[in-house]
Amino acid sequence: MTELPGLADRASVVADRFEPLFWYIVACTSIGTLIVCVGLVAFCTMYRRKRGDTISTPRILGSHKLELFWTVIPLIIFLTFFVWGMWVYDGAVHPPADAPEIKVIGKQWMWKIQYPSGQRVIVGGNTDVMTDEERNLVGAFVLPIDKPVKVTFISEDVIHDFGIPAFRQKIDVIPGRYVSTWYHPNKIGEYHLFCDQYCGNLHSRMVGKVKVVSQDDFDAFLREKADGSLAWEGQQIFRKLQCNSCHTPNAQSGAKVHPRAPSLEGLWGRDVPLKGGGTAEVTEQYIRESIVNPRAKVVEGWEPIMPGNYESQVSEDDLTKVIAYIRSLKSGKQIPNNEKFPPPDGAPRDMKTPAGSTGGSKP
Amino acid sequence: MSTAYAEPQTIAPVPPEPEAPPRNYLNNGYGILSWLLTVDHKRIGILYLVSLTAFFTVGGIAAGLVRLNLLSPDGAILTEDQYNRMFTAHGVVMLFLFLIPSIPAVMGNFFIPMMIGAKDLAFPKLNLASWYVFMIGAGFMVWAVLAGGIDTGWTLYPPYSSRFSHTNVTPGAFGAFITGFSSIMTGLNIMATIHKMRAPGMTWGRMPLFCWALYATSFIQLLGTPVVAITLVLLMVERVAGVGVFDPAMGGDPLLFQHLFWFYSHPAVYIMIVPGMGVISEIITCFSRKNIFGYKAVAWSSVGIAVVGFLVWSHHMFVAGISYYSALLFSFLTMLVAVPSAIKVFNWTATLYRGSITFQAPMLFTLAFLVLFTVGGVTGLFLATLGTDIHLHDTYFVVAHFHFVMVGGMVLAYMAAIHFWWPKMTGRMYSDFWSRASATVIFVGFFLTFVPQFVLGYHGMPRRYPNYPAEFQVYNILSTAGASILGLGYLMPGIYLTLSLFFGEKAPANPWSATGLEWASPSPPHVFNFEFVPVVKCGPYEYSLNVDQLGRTLPEPPGPMAPNTLKETNGVG
Repeated sequence: MTELPGLADRASVVADRFEPLFWYIVACTSIGTLIVCVGLVAFCTMYRRKRGDTISTPRILGSHKLELFWTVIPLIIFLTFFVWGMWVYDGAVHPPADAPEIKVIGKQWMWKIQYPSGQRVIVGGNTDVMTDEERNLVGAFVLPIDKPVKVTFISEDVIHDFGIPAFRQKIDVIPGRYVSTWYHPNKIGEYHLFCDQYCGNLHSRMVGKVKVVSQDDFDAFLREKADGSLAWEGQQIFRKLQCNSCHTPNAQSGAKVHPRAPSLEGLWGRDVPLKGGGTAEVTEQYIRESIVNPRAKVVEGWEPIMPGNYESQVSEDDLTKVIAYIRSLKSGKQIPNNEKFPPPDGAPRDMKTPAGSTGGSKP
Repeated sequence: MSTAYAEPQTIAPVPPEPEAPPRNYLNNGYGILSWLLTVDHKRIGILYLVSLTAFFTVGGIAAGLVRLNLLSPDGAILTEDQYNRMFTAHGVVMLFLFLIPSIPAVMGNFFIPMMIGAKDLAFPKLNLASWYVFMIGAGFMVWAVLAGGIDTGWTLYPPYSSRFSHTNVTPGAFGAFITGFSSIMTGLNIMATIHKMRAPGMTWGRMPLFCWALYATSFIQLLGTPVVAITLVLLMVERVAGVGVFDPAMGGDPLLFQHLFWFYSHPAVYIMIVPGMGVISEIITCFSRKNIFGYKAVAWSSVGIAVVGFLVWSHHMFVAGISYYSALLFSFLTMLVAVPSAIKVFNWTATLYRGSITFQAPMLFTLAFLVLFTVGGVTGLFLATLGTDIHLHDTYFVVAHFHFVMVGGMVLAYMAAIHFWWPKMTGRMYSDFWSRASATVIFVGFFLTFVPQFVLGYHGMPRRYPNYPAEFQVYNILSTAGASILGLGYLMPGIYLTLSLFFGEKAPANPWSATGLEWASPSPPHVFNFEFVPVVKCGPYEYSLNVDQLGRTLPEPPGPMAPNTLKETNGVG
């Protein structure tokens, strides 16, 4: 029988910040509890009624000074928890702007993880009911040491929660909405990965391992099974769904034929004017909504002619890929339609061109 | 404190033991209909007591199966699917059918009118209706749980509960919806009674703290329960009619459910604990023969908890996708709501100072409450603090925390209340030895059950897992061992309290020598509580003056004491 260590495993910067705060609260609350318990035991011993005692008790109604004392002191201590906790939380939830981004899609009862290089991994799940393709992807959530990574989550079905005890972090994974957090692992090793939000029958099987590895091992891992960058895969889907028959992926070809829909080049991060007033910032959430529910926000100057049935045609997996593709369309970059798309920022530079890949001709 | 009290020299001699009336509420009719059609608040209280004991047993059996299954990392006795139904059954039954109605519906029904010197609650028929509504709702829930079960957890988070679960969510939610009305009726009744039916001289400042606590509870029941009722209706509409409210695939928002649900369910935690706090104030004063330390602070902190408790619901959602600033706000407000609870604990402890303390079962349960509630309260601070909650959320740390508050706090207060008022309710005394033994066994078993769960939670073991990594096993075995002791502790009162009904000594009117008006009536009480209109002369806890609220000298309290010293104890300290 393996046993738990006294102090739980720590493997990230947040975990290192969590521990002092946790033990500070343990210390303060233990002292508080001890004061109450010592008070109870002392009073119960000193003032217990013994045989022969007269039942004579003083009529004490209270004391404003004491009352004020034990209102203000606990409040001050609680507020130190709040301020310190806010600092730890602040460090845990705001990803640095330049961190490479990993996508995680939760699905009953597995985690599908997509690296920017196109490497994919499935964590957890029942291998008996998987397709062969999925079974080949089963592995661990691999992260490089000493390098911040941003992770963006979405769920295909119900609410899940992506929790890594050794990182002291968890985040609910919600259907229909992207949420992000970031990790900064600092210790090589293998750690638990749990689903922490009850999600149905095999909730407790939606578990696996996080592997923190050296940068070299991480680069090797990224090359292992990758068959193109995420954005490149998105481009294939973009064409398969014939998005490019209306949305010309670059302005040049858009000028030749009369476009029926806005060009998507250089769109990421801009504010676009909306029909009926107002603007919307182009984010993952906005692009996702524009694909699955295109009538919700229509760009000024265009007709709402986009079909509304993409939700049933595109899985969450594919949506994240298409979004990665749209995000990679920098303005001014001329991208021939028949060439393999280069890996986006954040992917390793020496990523090999997958053999047999012919770019856009894939179905 | 402007509490007027009688001067020592004006105190009448100890009133003679009131003669047992030929008709008390128990022998006033024996047929089953005399119970099912009664409008007597005392009989309705007993109806609730019997039903709640049954539900507590059902919920307890489910808990036992859950703990047994966790003996082994692979799940000892249940499949995943069975386990999920079992912990849901435990949660649903314990929360909706035991904890929420427990003290308000049993003790509140029985004792609020007696403590304020009224004949009955303000709306006796509404009171009976509340029991029927409760039983109808409970019928739906128990049927849902027994006929296949529910596997969503008591929190019923959509879209899992609305679109994915294939279990009896609809009847379960419908049952919870119905029992909500019962809760509203009881709250309304108690509130109206306290406002309008206090005996002459029973001013707000002379009201026992139990009444203050139930007043605050009723406030939460009235304002909070309608919100969860609407939420459950929306959930059923989405599930049955396929109207998108919470499922994002149909244009809904799953976080909307969580906001609405916790807007009720966090205050509901206070529905469960605040009445328990009221009980503790009654008992700790009686068994230490002291005035409560800081009457106003204890009374107003109940009201403070009820009000601020409505403003902290999102602390259940720190990792659920709420915005950064709303997380900060709710963390801050949660720190504020922790203060009144701390105040109460300090006041209760200070009440013991220079008391004359005896340790009968109600007092032992009360002392156990103080320790366990304090631990439960301070561990809540780990979850209110953002930096620690992002790890501890949804782990066994949370499970241990709320069991310390709900079981260590509320259930022990409920046990204390039953042991304190049992002689009044039944007219019989129970075994002193076995009741003390039971309090001790429950305290020890409780600690052993839930302390290991804090360790598991710190190491990250998630809740609602039927199987788990092997390194968590040792602490799970410890916890299950504790649960067995705890189960034994609960079984003991079931036996000796039942036996006391048949073989117990006849209880005097005021066996604990307590000051409340309920003790001025014989045990068991008259059909209409009092043969006279009680005129209240002083505050609720004048133990040091040795007078009850009617200004009469108290009888001799139980416990060791010197003979013939009672009359000399009237000095003002």
